[in-house]
Amino acid sequence: MFNQESTVTAKFEIVLDGETIAVPGDMSVAAALLAIGKITTRTSPTAKEPRSPHCLMGICFECLMEIDGVQRQACMTEVHEGMVINRGIKEGEGGK
Amino acid sequence: MSDHYDAIVIGAGPAGLTASSRLAEMGLKVLTLDEQIRPGGQIYRNVDNASPTNLEKMGEEYRKGLTLTERFRKSGAIYLNNSSVWNVEPQGRVCYSRDGVSERITANYIIIATGAMERPVPIPGWTLPGVMGAGAVNGLAKEAELSPAGKVVLAGSGPLLLLEASLLLEKGIEVEAILETTPQIPTPAILSDVPKALLGTGFLFKGLKMLRDIKKTGVPHYKGIKKLRAIGNETLETVEAECGSEKISFQADMLLLHFGVIPETHIYRMLKCHMQWHEKYRYWQPVTDSWGRTNYEKIFASGDGTGVGGALAAEIKGELSALEVAHCLGIIPTYERDSLAASHRESLLKDSYPRPLIDAFFAFNPANFTFDDDTVLCRCENVTVGDIRTIISQGVTELNEVKAITRCGMGPCQGRMCGPVLGEIVAAELDARVPEAGLLTIRPPLKQIPLGELAAMDIVADGVDPANLFKNQSK
Ligand SMILES: Cc1cc2nc3c(=O)[nH]c(=O)nc-3n(C[C@H](O)[C@H](O)[C@H](O)COP(=O)(O)OP(=O)(O)OC[C@H]3O[C@@H](n4cnc5c(N)ncnc54)[C@H](O)[C@@H]3O)c2cc1C
Ligand code: FES
Repeated sequence: MFNQESTVTAKFEIVLDGETIAVPGDMSVAAALLAIGKITTRTSPTAKEPRSPHCLMGICFECLMEIDGVQRQACMTEVHEGMVINRGIKEGEGGK
Repeated sequence: MSDHYDAIVIGAGPAGLTASSRLAEMGLKVLTLDEQIRPGGQIYRNVDNASPTNLEKMGEEYRKGLTLTERFRKSGAIYLNNSSVWNVEPQGRVCYSRDGVSERITANYIIIATGAMERPVPIPGWTLPGVMGAGAVNGLAKEAELSPAGKVVLAGSGPLLLLEASLLLEKGIEVEAILETTPQIPTPAILSDVPKALLGTGFLFKGLKMLRDIKKTGVPHYKGIKKLRAIGNETLETVEAECGSEKISFQADMLLLHFGVIPETHIYRMLKCHMQWHEKYRYWQPVTDSWGRTNYEKIFASGDGTGVGGALAAEIKGELSALEVAHCLGIIPTYERDSLAASHRESLLKDSYPRPLIDAFFAFNPANFTFDDDTVLCRCENVTVGDIRTIISQGVTELNEVKAITRCGMGPCQGRMCGPVLGEIVAAELDARVPEAGLLTIRPPLKQIPLGELAAMDIVADGVDPANLFKNQSK
């Protein structure tokens, strides 16, 4: 859904849903995940449908995910090395 | 006391940066809290960390932000990024959460400069991954140099929609269509705003040039579209709309929505600041005097959060609030405050000339939308427009009752996404004005915080009763 044109070289290894992957750094968790094509942020607890970030400014709360053990807004949290993120979704089950 | 400040400024956008800088330059102890990673606010997001190519790409308007962040860094104001303010009390107390720890601090004066948001307007399918705010994508370009991949449709109304369209086109992004909900022929009501607008033609010429550039690309550009809908299975696939009697449809990987900008008023409502409804712009704003003082002596509101005026106006409002705070703290006498303020007031007036015309031109008109019964209104609690209409037909007449019964506005976003249109729908059903339908009540915490973080806080007897913090869960 996005291309990263950046010259930024910072790369972090994070654990996303139990899998170790590399993401660009120097940006929010939401931006870093979008940059590598992980667009689903969560499954809506009420509608049971996949959701992705909508506002990227802390308003919509669609980017809520468990970050280092706490439910946080991914668009308002800076990504860091070794971060553990659980979206509670699986590839192929509406998750990307 | 180390956690007491002369002034706490909430928000590091143009308004907050200017207010903080001015006060700190006068030697005052100022703390600036902002939940973003870097200063700059929405318009100047990430500006002092942007790559040279990005600074170039985002244009002169963006680079202007560097002056503000440089001044701010030099001013001596203490800056805490990643700090989310979740409570403010009229006596001058602020609670914020940073890196999983909540702190409570106090100040003689508080300047709230938390800005504005894109007006959320529910359309069928707007919860599908791939449907985002146009401003959100603009922010991503600034923050992370991300550009949409694949086919993009832009839809809605307002100068920022066209600005985003021209930025994407310049980058060579595959823009499939621009679908404006703005009517083809503006209503005659805008004529009264024309003479004033002619006093500030720079802004208008810039807009016209942008439109010409868009036209040259040959991208389909419709005006007066209705019945906009996003369609897809797990992600967006198609965007449909109607233009007159013509049905139009575009394949799309992304739909960028934008329906103008409105003040984000949760923080003021939580404080129980007096609020007023702006009938023409169709948004709520806090009532302030010309310095930005709210109905509370110690609490100031500044920038776009007090009424949308753009970056320059936000900057000037920040200066004015700071001057009055400095005056109240005894740093400058009345005559100095007034003489310093005079030129700012003049710039503010000049800057405002073209606004009424632009705003009238792109004015949000709920009558242009059908708000279908099966459209999800409250994204958090999955409440549809039909659910709202049903309980109104059963005799409910007030927004907070609607909330209590349907859970609309009760999820984590606390009605930020559904509140504005909920007000419009309830008012329309009741055949009343929006203020008569009420305004959703907001209680702390403004943003979710884990119970453990609250429990770890050093709460003294005269503070917030933690038991109160979860009241909003029941209403
Ligand atoms: C998504 C979006 C994109 C925009 N893009 C443009 C653009 O490209 N060009 C343009 O001319 N205008 C743009 N605007 C309009 C622009 O917002 C204003 O003109 C200008 O930024 C207003 O400045 P401000 O200082 O009032 O608020 P802002 O710049 O919005 O700054 C407010 C700051 O407060 C912070 N904040 C909010 N709540 C809290 C809290 N509870 N705790 C801590 N911090 C908080 C925010 O994170 C933000 O950094 C945009 C608006 C939006 C909503
Ligand atoms: S994307 Fe909307 S709150 Fe993060």
